Amino acid sequence: MARAVTNNRKALNTAIAWTIGLLIFFPILWTILTSFKTEAQAISDPPVFLFFDWTLENYSVVQERSNYMRFLWNSVVIAGGSTILGLIIAVPAAWSMAFVPSKRTKDILLWMLSTKMLPAVGVLYPIYLIFIKMGILDTRTGLVIVMMLINLPIIVWMLYTYFREIPGEILEASRMDGASLKEEIIYILTPMAVPGIASTMLLNFILAWNEAFWTLNLTAAKAAPLTAFIASYSSPEGLFYAKLSAASTMAIAPILILGWFSQKQLVRGLTFGAVK
Amino acid sequence: MAATRPIRLFRNLTAKIAAIPMILTALVVFVGGTAWTVTYSFTSSKLLPRTKFVGLDQYERLWATPRWLVSIENLLIYGVCMMVLSLVLGFLLAALLDQKIRYENTFRTILLYPFALSFIVTGLVWQWLLNPDFGIQSVIHRLGWESFDFNPLYNADIVIFGVLIAGLWQGSGLVMCLMLAGLRGIDQEIWKASRVDGIPAWKTYIFIIIPMMRPVFITTLVIIASGIVRLYDLIVAQTGGGPGIASDVPAKYVYDYMFQGQNLGQGFAASTMMLLAVLVVVIPWAYLEFGGKKRV
Repeated sequence: MARAVTNNRKALNTAIAWTIGLLIFFPILWTILTSFKTEAQAISDPPVFLFFDWTLENYSVVQERSNYMRFLWNSVVIAGGSTILGLIIAVPAAWSMAFVPSKRTKDILLWMLSTKMLPAVGVLYPIYLIFIKMGILDTRTGLVIVMMLINLPIIVWMLYTYFREIPGEILEASRMDGASLKEEIIYILTPMAVPGIASTMLLNFILAWNEAFWTLNLTAAKAAPLTAFIASYSSPEGLFYAKLSAASTMAIAPILILGWFSQKQLVRGLTFGAVK
Repeated sequence: MAATRPIRLFRNLTAKIAAIPMILTALVVFVGGTAWTVTYSFTSSKLLPRTKFVGLDQYERLWATPRWLVSIENLLIYGVCMMVLSLVLGFLLAALLDQKIRYENTFRTILLYPFALSFIVTGLVWQWLLNPDFGIQSVIHRLGWESFDFNPLYNADIVIFGVLIAGLWQGSGLVMCLMLAGLRGIDQEIWKASRVDGIPAWKTYIFIIIPMMRPVFITTLVIIASGIVRLYDLIVAQTGGGPGIASDVPAKYVYDYMFQGQNLGQGFAASTMMLLAVLVVVIPWAYLEFGGKKRV
């Protein structure tokens, strides 16, 4: 329940809220706008806001010079693959912890989550060595596995919080009616868990899409996703801001669009289930 | 006792089997990997891991390296400022907006967009906005305030605050959403009661509302803290650790020593120190937060 306020105050607050919203959104908007400018306009002083010659040149140059599509495909495969793989492992685990809790369930969950607090550099080298031994360094397979591993604690936690909201009585009732475990999962649990699973998928997809520490360190040329692609644009071509903006815009567009059409899932996912 | 044991062990067998893959992966990867790193931090590994143990040599060298001290200092400044400022900012914004505003869902989505971006993109965008020639500074000069001087990315003394601004931009929307949800969870009756008693709003916030929102604050702190420890990509994209080594952070130090300096032992020792620092913070917190109330 919100605090009661007068109507005037309300209008004022809405205005303030949207000003803040716009300010926060401005850097993103600016990047998108700049991607349609020429290099000269991008660094012009004073900056031009909307009245410039809109051009798509940057996009074609970026695609031509570094084959954007390949990086995009790598990102899609890595983020999508790790999400699916993660769910396959996490759903049974979260299910068992939510519906058949034991004394240690809480401890296990906490311990899982605490691994997320550990600095990733602590496991960087061992994983790097394993990857060399298995020959999956700089492959999409390798990155799918790593992304799945690092996000697993969060997926399990998120799913657990969703599953806990499903009333256990429904499961008991279905068991009374003679539903087998398989039927219980397929016909009762899954339909009720779909919104939660969707949020979790979205969160995991975004986390894997954005992950840079592992992708920068475990890929070179073949399996590099979009984050590595933009990073490569930053140093040697640091002054080509319009092209850099085009590259960034293409990298963030899928997230912005995906997020726009699933706002509820996005909010709940990004706040790790805390905001409903 | 002994007779009942096997039965208890096999109870809910499916549930236990279901949780096994998750526990195994976490155990093998996180615990195994970390233990490996800690072990090898006591060796003289250079280009390849070797098992020639040299005791605490690597740690002595680590703490004698100015670059490491700079990294630690940066992480401390960034961490403390990030925690305090994002909580304060997020809470103030949320308190301001604690009411029904129009198109609230859209509003929240926009506030969360920065958090949905990669640190790489955030770093690049802010590298550009903080550029003295055509970023915020030049715009303010245009508006007539000629003496305005804010050029953190090229000033070694304050470069970490340039990074902090980018970090705050990315994180404060998230904090605000969490806080807003927390404020919404407060019973309307409490506000009524405090108004009847004539308690000023700010006092109500500090003495009643904030203590009631303790769980929300803890969740938020944990999320912020886990982001701080991982600070790496933002630095790489925004400053590259520069100017010089002025914006170096431990994660970057570790990485550079492992892969570029070809001094694995140093990297392992540095990551062990990071691990230790996290444990020093996490263990007392976990104990206080969960140790006392096992029954719940």
